[in-house]
Amino acid sequence: MLTLFFLILPALVMFIVSFSRKKSAKYLLSFSTFLILIPVVKIFNLPKPFNLLDNYLIVDKLNSYIFFCVSIVAIAVSFALLTLEKHVKVKEREYHRFYRFFATFWIGLILSILANNMGIFWIGLELATLSTVYMIKTNKSPIADAEAWNYMLVGAIAISLLLFGIILMYASAKPILGEEAMNFSSLLANASKIPSPFLFEMGFVISSLGMFIKMGFFPMNLWLANIERASFYPVGALFSGILETAVMAGFFRFSEIAMKVNYPHLVGFTLFYVFITMFIVAFLIYRAKDFIRLFALSGIEHMALIAIFWVSGGAFAALLHLGAHAFIKPALFLSTGVLESSGKYHFSGALKGYSGVKGKIFWFLVGLFLLAIISLPPSPMFFSEIYGFAAMIELAKQSDYLLLMLFIIILILILTLVIFYRFIHVYQMMKYEGEAIEKKVYLSEIIALLIFVVALVCLMLPPSIEYLKSIT
Amino acid sequence: MITDFLIGIFISTLITALFSTRLYGLLFWYSMNSFSLALLAMVIGRDIGDTALVFSGVLTIVLKAVAIPYFLKNIVAKNKLVRRIPPKVKIHYSIILIPAILVFTFYLAEPLSQIIDSHANYVAISISSLFLSLLLMMEHDSVTPKIIGFLAIENSLFLLATTATGGMPMIVELGIFFDLLMAIVIINLLFKKEEFKI
Repeated sequence: MLTLFFLILPALVMFIVSFSRKKSAKYLLSFSTFLILIPVVKIFNLPKPFNLLDNYLIVDKLNSYIFFCVSIVAIAVSFALLTLEKHVKVKEREYHRFYRFFATFWIGLILSILANNMGIFWIGLELATLSTVYMIKTNKSPIADAEAWNYMLVGAIAISLLLFGIILMYASAKPILGEEAMNFSSLLANASKIPSPFLFEMGFVISSLGMFIKMGFFPMNLWLANIERASFYPVGALFSGILETAVMAGFFRFSEIAMKVNYPHLVGFTLFYVFITMFIVAFLIYRAKDFIRLFALSGIEHMALIAIFWVSGGAFAALLHLGAHAFIKPALFLSTGVLESSGKYHFSGALKGYSGVKGKIFWFLVGLFLLAIISLPPSPMFFSEIYGFAAMIELAKQSDYLLLMLFIIILILILTLVIFYRFIHVYQMMKYEGEAIEKKVYLSEIIALLIFVVALVCLMLPPSIEYLKSIT
Repeated sequence: MITDFLIGIFISTLITALFSTRLYGLLFWYSMNSFSLALLAMVIGRDIGDTALVFSGVLTIVLKAVAIPYFLKNIVAKNKLVRRIPPKVKIHYSIILIPAILVFTFYLAEPLSQIIDSHANYVAISISSLFLSLLLMMEHDSVTPKIIGFLAIENSLFLLATTATGGMPMIVELGIFFDLLMAIVIINLLFKKEEFKI
């Protein structure tokens, strides 16, 4: 019960402080996110797995890791938020309201990440989705208003599909498990005994569609990018680093069960879906004209890769990739506040015009993150992709469709190459083209980026690698 | 017998909502749709001896059949939103499209109907009502009918949960109701004086 209290404490503090009118409230709001570290440390020190709230929530190695990743993102984003008003027009009232919904968002995330119950997972995700609607609207522009509605409606459709699938999966196992059919752990333990595998698979496909739509997969590749473009840049960081990670955690849970029900069907479905998504996203990235859309679309590419690595049996690769993405992508989103100082559609010269120690550290780190996101060594993504594609090839070797699978793997690699060259081109434009227009960097932004650097270094340390391998 | 009648009312109110050209009319049909769903849940709950399902039915009447339509009507009046909402899909096309969706979903749900013993055809109706609710969202430009479409999707899911599983666990049902209330709060915050086009 104490763990549960510590889990929701930061959100409670944030929610209460957000009503304060004092000037210092802004700093208090940022520093309140540090309280997240208490449950993170507590969770890592306790023997796992253990249940919370009867058996509605569970803490195991997988979700402790995911919870750690999203906590780091939340802390870094709250640091960067300190200087939000230096880059965009935001009223104090709106800023406080942003935090009020951030607190609700955080509670939703705790529920969905730690859920051992499909229904609780859905409730948490829905709560997180609804609270982000208002975060989008913090930007007072007609486009942001329209996109907030868009997010509300498309998000509602995605989340409804997810619930639809959950109901079918629940119905498939209820005859043998009763109400326990809602529990991930009970379903996993009894996956081979499910009396209607067809019903379960149909439910899994529909709920995966809902989760994929939420992450911007085919056929909704642009909606997330448009929404992130219309919102203030920290919203993009929260979406890519926290919300997408939480949705992927759900996909991990559902697919673990689906693997035991009918593995070839799961591989076929995911591989097909990932390929179609990658095909469209690669060309959208090639045509992207601004940083936010570029990063948002790249997020879809990485989520697709994580999904297929996981399903192919490369769980270590998927988890390493997920962690690396959760740290690198929000860092890039947070730097767009400075990168877009000369306008939204100016790649050229974006890495020029930085003076002083802060400026130099900033451009160095952003350059590093940009190269890390396209998996250049020593980025963790370099290693995760090697392990991930190796797992896919291993799976192809064991299947009856070796040539077909190898052909699709090669096509996916070609598509990642298109994305790689686009990012290299953008980096060269940022570094070597355009004029050097002076840009101002603030300490809070540097600290936020440094938090991500430290997190990435920690991710590559041998104990972390051992921990990730032990999850699988 | 009574459940067949109620599910008939459920699907027919949704179909009528699809043809509605007035906002208050649409709210009325949504309210009736929720009311028939609530009665259905209560009847099924009574038949299988599930008091939680009966309680969910009562909660559905209070929230979805009365409170939400009343609240949305107030928002519409307060913000002076346009109440004439002609659907983008013309009525003569809808007359062909809606039966096609119904037939298609019965065909789609046939394997499921063989798996689920109790209320097998209701599963097909809940899937078709999901598609019809999506159609309701698509066929209007203005936001309010889209919101009602979203709420109708929630009804379809509730129907599926009731008929396919005999109701979800109570904590999940309550959580879904809580999220629905949260959605209404957000919708209220999103509304401005003028009607948005998406």
